[in-house]
Amino acid sequence: MGEINLILEQLINGLSLGMVYALIAVGYSLVFGILRLVNFSHGSVYAFGAHMTMMFISMKFGIVPAILASIILTGILGVLIDKASLEPLRKKGSKPIAALITTIGISYIIQNLLMIVFGSHTKHFPKLFDFGVVNILGATIGTTQIFIFLVSLILLFILTGIVRFTKIGLAMRAVEQNPKAAHLMGINVNRVITFTFFLGGASAAIAGSLISGYYQMVYAGMGFLAGMKAFSAAVLGGIGVLYGSIFGGLVVGVSETFAATYLGGSYRDAVAFLILILVLLVKPHGLFGKKGITKV
Amino acid sequence: MKKFKKTMILGLVLLLIMTSLAACSSKSDDIVKVAVAAPLTGDYAEYGTGFKNAVELMAEEWNAKGGVLGKKIEIVLYDDKNNGEEAANIAEKIASDGSIVAVIGHFASGVCMAATPKYQEAGIINISPSASHPDFTKEGNYIFRNNTVISSEAKAAVEIAIDVLGKKKIGLLSVKTDWGTSTAAITKEIIAELGATLVDHQEVVDGTVDFSPNISKLNDAGAEVVIVAAMYNTLAPLATQYKAVNPNIQFVGFSNAYSQQLIDLAKENAEGIHFPAQFFDGSTDPKIANFVKNYESKYGAKPSSLTAQAYDSMGIILTAIEKAGTTDRAKVREEVEKINYNGVTGATTFNENRDSVRPFTIVKIENGNFVEVKK
Repeated sequence: MGEINLILEQLINGLSLGMVYALIAVGYSLVFGILRLVNFSHGSVYAFGAHMTMMFISMKFGIVPAILASIILTGILGVLIDKASLEPLRKKGSKPIAALITTIGISYIIQNLLMIVFGSHTKHFPKLFDFGVVNILGATIGTTQIFIFLVSLILLFILTGIVRFTKIGLAMRAVEQNPKAAHLMGINVNRVITFTFFLGGASAAIAGSLISGYYQMVYAGMGFLAGMKAFSAAVLGGIGVLYGSIFGGLVVGVSETFAATYLGGSYRDAVAFLILILVLLVKPHGLFGKKGITKV
Repeated sequence: MKKFKKTMILGLVLLLIMTSLAACSSKSDDIVKVAVAAPLTGDYAEYGTGFKNAVELMAEEWNAKGGVLGKKIEIVLYDDKNNGEEAANIAEKIASDGSIVAVIGHFASGVCMAATPKYQEAGIINISPSASHPDFTKEGNYIFRNNTVISSEAKAAVEIAIDVLGKKKIGLLSVKTDWGTSTAAITKEIIAELGATLVDHQEVVDGTVDFSPNISKLNDAGAEVVIVAAMYNTLAPLATQYKAVNPNIQFVGFSNAYSQQLIDLAKENAEGIHFPAQFFDGSTDPKIANFVKNYESKYGAKPSSLTAQAYDSMGIILTAIEKAGTTDRAKVREEVEKINYNGVTGATTFNENRDSVRPFTIVKIENGNFVEVKK
């Protein structure tokens, strides 16, 4: 088989991996957009979602109800994180760095709880779908990858739709621009924040279920590296901008895959971060990021 | 009167201290201590716990028969978390504790080799049931390996690929660890020696989850069988993802991936994976069947080959102590060196490099179980 086929295959490998990063990255972006806070617990929330889906499937819920139950539960976890730790900090008017450190702490708490409940070893996750392989232009591509790509794309469209075209989305954008003014206009800012955390948790659960279904395994620490890469994808695309996250995810996924192919497996993790640094040197707000508005 | 009281109290306290000290020393005379140093927590806890369980089981069996040299056998546990620094600290601790006769353990070769200089220096017998790096026993004459050396295992793996599976286009995937890199290098040489073709070699870092770039390369290179120098946490997702692209691919693993966890994790995708094994738990040999039964009833899981090697390692140490008639480490060491121990992994002797020598069994996964492949 020719080099072109290999490149095409690797491109598709990279795009489906990238879409997965994009799904996690929107979670960072959503919360950052509203609160200007990097929510480092997001990676663990993603791992939590995957574990919940595994648990519900093993309880014979059926795949779709299991994922739905996991989405709701993980969404509630997102809200809980905000209500239990971040909201009290906001009320006290503490510094942003306190909230940031809190999210790192929460990340470890969730990860350790998962270890206590489910054990620290890697566990099997049932296959969600399998339609065999297809040949496109001589390249062999697993349909699972195409499926992940399409499902992620649809979900990202739905999320963008919610933010762009619904009433709550309008409220979210208003809070994003100016929380105080939004509050004065009669928007319940706390409800908007709660909804955002729910959406972030729900998207993490979907990402967790899809990725675990593809790799057929889950483990408590799965959110760490995936979370870091998704975060860099979000920053790369311009954090707070949803389509930026998608583009960033794809760049990270494709560059990682090509690094693994041509430079060897040991460099794959470094390349994503290298690209991030290079982009930030040229465009400090990310590829699609808006210039920071200094609020007085 | 007051002075007399003070002296009395002082005397009593001294008496107390002395008797307790005496009790201590007389007690430790009746005990033979063997240390187990292995990862008891973390990613490799499964292996370390296996060591601990197996060694405890062997000790219990001896204790039930009255111990060794009439003394009770006691196990001292150390958790090295499969971390070289932890291992070096543990070796330091064990070396400063004069009562420990031998150490069974350290799991990964790299971790073992962080600890061996100390054991050699202090003259403590160290048998690793898992280290497979060629340099491991080169540290000195107190260091023994009750595991196969990479070269003999790699040869067995390549022979399975060529003779049992009948494939000549071999792909190789290895983890970037001390063990993985040297195994890959040796495997490459053996593939060339035995007249097969190495179509591609992929290296991954331990903990890799996404193998799609590696699979595309191996598959495009036309690999018919992939020899995987990695543990179950790599082999399982690799097999799963590879079979989604090419359902006909065959895998040959190494003994450290030969574990029930592999089947639990890869399920139907583990079918047909072959291993060269030192120990097969489904064997009909009464000695092996008995060990498997006892282990399973006590710990609720079947022993892996590394676990069996840990069990035999303990057997070797205790037999050597008995033969030496003393717990003097230098004398016990000599007995270990010339032992011919017939354990659950077969008849074990140590060669001039203090590496164990015994034949391989070929095992494959069929219908969710390991089965022996008759040659």
